[in-house]
Amino acid sequence: MSPRARAAIGRSLESPRVVTGGVIILAMTMIALLAPLIAPHSPQEQDLINTLLPPMWSPGGDAAYPLGTDTLGRCILSRLLFGARIALYVAFVAATGAMLLGAAMALAAAYCGGWVDWIICRLVDIWMAFPPVVLALILLVGMGSGVNKVVLAIILIDWTRFCRVIRSEAMVVMTRDYVAAARLAGFTHLQIILKELLPAVSPLLITLLSLEMGIAVIVEAIMSFVGLSVEPDVAAWGVMIADARQTMMQAPSGVVFPVLAIFLAVLGFNLIGDGLRRTSDTRLLVSRGAA
Amino acid sequence: MIRIATQLLLRRLLLAIPILLCVSALVFIILRLLPADPIAMSLPPGATPDDVERLKRDFGLDRSIPEQYVIWLGKLLSGDFGTSIFFRRGVGELLAKALPATIELVATGLLLGVALGVAGGLAMFAGRDTAVEQSLDLSTTGLMAIPEFLWALLLILLLGVAFPILPFIGRLSPDTPLPPSITGFLILDSLLSGRWDAFRSAVTHLILPSLALAIGLAPLVMRVLRSSLLETILEDYITQARLRGVSERAILVRHALKNAALPTISLIGVQGGFMFGGTVLVEMIFAYPGLGNLMVDAVRNHDLPVIQAVALIYCVLVLAINAIVDVAYLSANPRLRFA
Repeated sequence: MSPRARAAIGRSLESPRVVTGGVIILAMTMIALLAPLIAPHSPQEQDLINTLLPPMWSPGGDAAYPLGTDTLGRCILSRLLFGARIALYVAFVAATGAMLLGAAMALAAAYCGGWVDWIICRLVDIWMAFPPVVLALILLVGMGSGVNKVVLAIILIDWTRFCRVIRSEAMVVMTRDYVAAARLAGFTHLQIILKELLPAVSPLLITLLSLEMGIAVIVEAIMSFVGLSVEPDVAAWGVMIADARQTMMQAPSGVVFPVLAIFLAVLGFNLIGDGLRRTSDTRLLVSRGAA
Repeated sequence: MIRIATQLLLRRLLLAIPILLCVSALVFIILRLLPADPIAMSLPPGATPDDVERLKRDFGLDRSIPEQYVIWLGKLLSGDFGTSIFFRRGVGELLAKALPATIELVATGLLLGVALGVAGGLAMFAGRDTAVEQSLDLSTTGLMAIPEFLWALLLILLLGVAFPILPFIGRLSPDTPLPPSITGFLILDSLLSGRWDAFRSAVTHLILPSLALAIGLAPLVMRVLRSSLLETILEDYITQARLRGVSERAILVRHALKNAALPTISLIGVQGGFMFGGTVLVEMIFAYPGLGNLMVDAVRNHDLPVIQAVALIYCVLVLAINAIVDVAYLSANPRLRFA
């Protein structure tokens, strides 16, 4: 690891936002991985005698179901823990995919310029004419539903978020002397892109990646809420909210806890992204006198 | 000024045509990937294969995809949106009902969101370098971590169920008769026909859904406005005004706010487009009979003609908001007028 990268990581870890967000996401990842071990019940196990139980601390609660049960008597806590697996899986895979596609397009546009740039920019224009949710719904109708289809849909929609920002940043880098020097030194096109352009845009890329993970969590929740993501019996946060919505008046906890889980996950990713932007954005560094 | 604005709008319009053509072709092709058979899904269980064939012919689904696209586009240009497979009614008729409802909702949501955002941004700026700014900054981070559709559910829980002061189903109370349809916009119609009961009912029904949309927008506006105000306040002309003895409040309102408004206006343009996406779920949750509800119903029933038409309308709306914001940007930025 280069000393510069190490310094950047050190600087990021001084940001309370990055640390708080990191702790939230790390804890959630651990919970998701260990869900089968720590969940008190199976997420599908029904207890039809104990339906719609409140959390254990309110009157009528049962210590066997710490956060209460849903309409079919399934343990809300266990379903939340297993739901974290779906949410984080989609967050990591879909956001990374969108980043790879978006960065590849952006670097190609910035490096090649000319008609390649023109075509990629027009593609972004067309994509931007859709509200993302609408495009996702259309894609899922075309491709059929399922959690991996949701991942694919997020990649195919949100690459533009990376492409727009990275392209303009890479355009600036292209005018730098060290890129010209690399060319004179006989670097191949691919070498210039990978060794000169990519490192220069990578702080921005990582910031966007972490914000995109938050977006992916929300999109997955929306799609499973509408019934286009996981199978209806799989525990995902969106499914839980959709199920509990029918009985929201009698048992609000069925809605409140998954909402809280989504909030925490998105907050974690946003805090990391926000904190990274504040520590890695050179313009901000200059104005605060840190550089 | 007006001449430049018209030129800008014309250029936007010319650009919109190829975009809409590409968008419609894209939607058309994606929807034809569909593994399920939309006709079979809409028929009663006793239907014979002959029935399926006949219906396929009626809806033109037996032709090749490019042929279907050209036919659909031709009809669209003559104002015919086709027939819904699921509702068995003209798509145009469905759109005419849903579109004003959604525009009414988004317009209210935008107004509310911008008002809350500007107020918050000013509060953050006024309290800069104090605990006020810190806590507002943190709360924007928190607010942004909850998407619109979850705000919708939380607002229903809070103001519909726990403190039942606002209605949260539909556009009007069931016991309020509809005002005569003049424009399709309930608020305007009830005002035009002097129906105060309908006006009150329509407004109270709009509050929760538009608030759910507004809370999504407000924190973004707050942040952008605050940071551009912080930049503007360092400019020489602000120092100059201060030296002339202009009060801080007058500096803020007359000099800083005008110049700091530009990035906020472009943000509203982008987010206004996204807000139409937000309406999809918010409308579904509030059983609000707009485009979003129509879209979700159509998606669930694989109602291709409706999905195609609604998707296209959404794109038109997004492009329209972008154009409106462009003009607003132009009128707020005199430097562009002579370009």
